Amino acid sequence: MIEIEPEPWKTMVRHAETSYPNECCGAMLGRIEGEKKLVTEAVPLENAYAGEQGARYELRPEDLLNADRAARSRGLDLIGIFHSHPDADAYFSETDLKNSCPWYSFVILSIQRGTFHHANSFLPDLEQTKADKEEFKWPKF
Amino acid sequence: MAKILIPTALRQFTAQQDSVEVTGATVADALRHLTEQHPDIKKNLYNEQGKLRSFVNIYVNDEDIRYLDKDQTELQGNETLSIVPSIAGGATLTAEPPPAAASLSNEEVARYSRHLILPEVGMQGQVKLKQAKVAMIGAGGLGAPLGLYLAAAGVGRVGIVDFDVVDASNLQRQVIHGTSDIGRKKLDSAADRMREINPHLAIDKFDAGLSSENALEILRDYDLVVDGTDNFPTRYLVNDACVLLKKPNVYGSIFRFEGQATVFAYEDGPCYRCLYPEPPPPGLVPSCAEGGVLGILPGIIGVIQATEVVKIILGVGETLKNRLLLYDALNMRFRELKLRRDPDCPVCGNNPTVTRLIDYQEFCGIKPMASQPVNNTDAIDAVELKAKLDRGDNFLLLDVREPHEFQIARIPGSKLIPLGELPKHLNEFDPDAEIVVHCKSGGRSQKAVDLMKANGFRHARNMTGGITAWSDKVDPSVPKY
Repeated sequence: MIEIEPEPWKTMVRHAETSYPNECCGAMLGRIEGEKKLVTEAVPLENAYAGEQGARYELRPEDLLNADRAARSRGLDLIGIFHSHPDADAYFSETDLKNSCPWYSFVILSIQRGTFHHANSFLPDLEQTKADKEEFKWPKF
Repeated sequence: MAKILIPTALRQFTAQQDSVEVTGATVADALRHLTEQHPDIKKNLYNEQGKLRSFVNIYVNDEDIRYLDKDQTELQGNETLSIVPSIAGGATLTAEPPPAAASLSNEEVARYSRHLILPEVGMQGQVKLKQAKVAMIGAGGLGAPLGLYLAAAGVGRVGIVDFDVVDASNLQRQVIHGTSDIGRKKLDSAADRMREINPHLAIDKFDAGLSSENALEILRDYDLVVDGTDNFPTRYLVNDACVLLKKPNVYGSIFRFEGQATVFAYEDGPCYRCLYPEPPPPGLVPSCAEGGVLGILPGIIGVIQATEVVKIILGVGETLKNRLLLYDALNMRFRELKLRRDPDCPVCGNNPTVTRLIDYQEFCGIKPMASQPVNNTDAIDAVELKAKLDRGDNFLLLDVREPHEFQIARIPGSKLIPLGELPKHLNEFDPDAEIVVHCKSGGRSQKAVDLMKANGFRHARNMTGGITAWSDKVDPSVPKY
């Protein structure tokens, strides 16, 4: 399961809401405590998709590399990737699946009319054929 | 030796090492050396054809090998290699239909045709209504017209929160329930009626009082909230939850012949606390059960709320945001007050101090006497009162209701002095006399007892539950109102 602390969660929601109506993306850093992944820091990253970004995002590998380095330098791990779905539900789309990687949790925030609506976390498989929903806790403000 | 940094998820294959030392003249050699040391990592990096998986990028220091010599990129032996996935995605609405059907069936087209020919609604608007999720707090006076019209208008999903049971006294205004529903859960009665109006409607029933524990969980999945509550703690709770969840709160309230409606927590507009930062002292504003309400009044106010809900979903017209609409049924007048968001508001202001739900019973001062020690000799219940009367005890039974209530029902032998008149009459009583005070349900009489105690009447006691309890427990021939 994955749990997100209040500070990184605020960062993620804010990044998703301010990027609306475009998709946003970013990295989640934290610790792995047994079965639980605890996200203690969120790093907003630039959506590098070259076309219309309303329903697409792309992470620049260099940005991810830097986020991973930042995590390591502080004794943290790169745990997951987050992105938003403006005016769409937080489901793992075909596009998400075909461009996924099984090593991370994929948190999707549904942003409806500019404000956060709901979120889910997914674990895609190695062959990019399916993604299971992951037990997911975010702060209840 | 070159070093390969291992992503967190792959460390289970490298005995938890976060980096692995490798030898090799090229990147391909180095990776081969890695998979020789840790064979289980291989399937994560290579597909069955032995090619690097599509999402795997290898960086030598800061350079992507795709822009060098790919896996033949030469190594000196002091480099750091990183395994970096390429990740992208998106909601891509074109590739697959969204979960809720974004179109109308022929049957729905026929049903909504008067909407569809309005340019402000049209096919697009009707689909928005169909995809909308509205949480309705309360299936009572305001909830009745709200439920009926939201169902009829084609809102796709309505969540109803209510824990109450239909009572005969509800039917004068709660037109979603009928005589045969008396005794049923309001949830069931309302849901049946709404489905009868529109079978396309999905209904979520929450058989609970909204509380600080369940509010965020319940309301989170809805697009907006419509407040049909009849008490201050729940009203503040709904407000705060809506602000925290950033959901518009379509507000309405009614009392006697007057009603109010507005839209809170919508866009840059104010919230309920900007208008009323503090709740009134408990008991100051009587509830509809105590003060009465014109049965038609919630019809008007609830329909205004339903109108605002539909406008917000459609994104058309001018909402009541920043305006408090006041309606006076007796004189048939509408007025408006300007509202503004308070930058110092504790919930929606610039520096909010309320960032989570609190104890709203306590906030509204109706915690069960936590601060004052409960003195049981202060209270008497209906059965005890009956025994006292039967014994012929010498005491005064004081009724602090209003004369028109006295006309509806009374306890034999009681003396009527409305609460508001009581201070003028205190000197008529013996401070040492035994006095039992009652009202309709126990609220006003408690205030009367407090007043009398403060004036030296040591033997004044409140009758809990009022004449309603008397009717329930002692004499069913006394009508309940």
